[in-house]
Amino acid sequence: MARRTVAVASASGLHARPAKLFVQAAMGVPAAVTIRAGDKAVPAKSMLGVLSLGAVHGTEVTLEADGPGAEESLDTLAALLARDLDAEDSSHA
Amino acid sequence: MRDDLLDPRAVLLHESAADRDAAVRRCGRALVEIGAVAESYVEAMLERERTISTYVGEGVAIPHGTAAAKEDVERDAICVVRFPGGVDWDGEQVTLCVGIAAKGNGHIPLLAELAEILLDPDRARTLREATEVSQILKELT
Repeated sequence: MARRTVAVASASGLHARPAKLFVQAAMGVPAAVTIRAGDKAVPAKSMLGVLSLGAVHGTEVTLEADGPGAEESLDTLAALLARDLDAEDSSHA
Repeated sequence: MRDDLLDPRAVLLHESAADRDAAVRRCGRALVEIGAVAESYVEAMLERERTISTYVGEGVAIPHGTAAAKEDVERDAICVVRFPGGVDWDGEQVTLCVGIAAKGNGHIPLLAELAEILLDPDRARTLREATEVSQILKELT
């Protein structure tokens, strides 16, 4: 099992737009990734699952995946979580 | 969870909307009417929706403004607007909108709770088919 632990960088946490972008990215990577916050783990492709984590700015989440493409998949998603997606939003508004 | 986020006056269960933009405007109006947001927030909700759909699944969308529109928020609040006839949402069918006005992170536990409810098909149906304000308040607060 490959793992990455990363703190959610988006100012508004992992919900709304940042959550949507994360879920879309999870659908695009080869591995089936699980995202965990505390003792709760959900599929990264599930918008409702991700929202149910209630992750705010700074919450540490762990991404897990197995099998082919696991490492690259985790790298892609961890990099996304480490960016402030809200700030990028403001700059385009 | 904070129970001051959902004003019963912002629970509207028998609305109709011709399209997604009309539905978002109705949600924005509900937030304006309870004094949670300035009028300009409604445009920001439409802008957000055009950038990225706020559809979350189970026939539910969660319209909200752009990050830049936070200054239009007077206080954190949500509204619950039900469209029994359904609204086409970029190919998805939406029957319930949970509109969000948030300055900070106060609404995130509520969103997490909403997601939790929607992950349970029976509770999701109860929410989508609610005809009494009390049913919504009971599920969400």
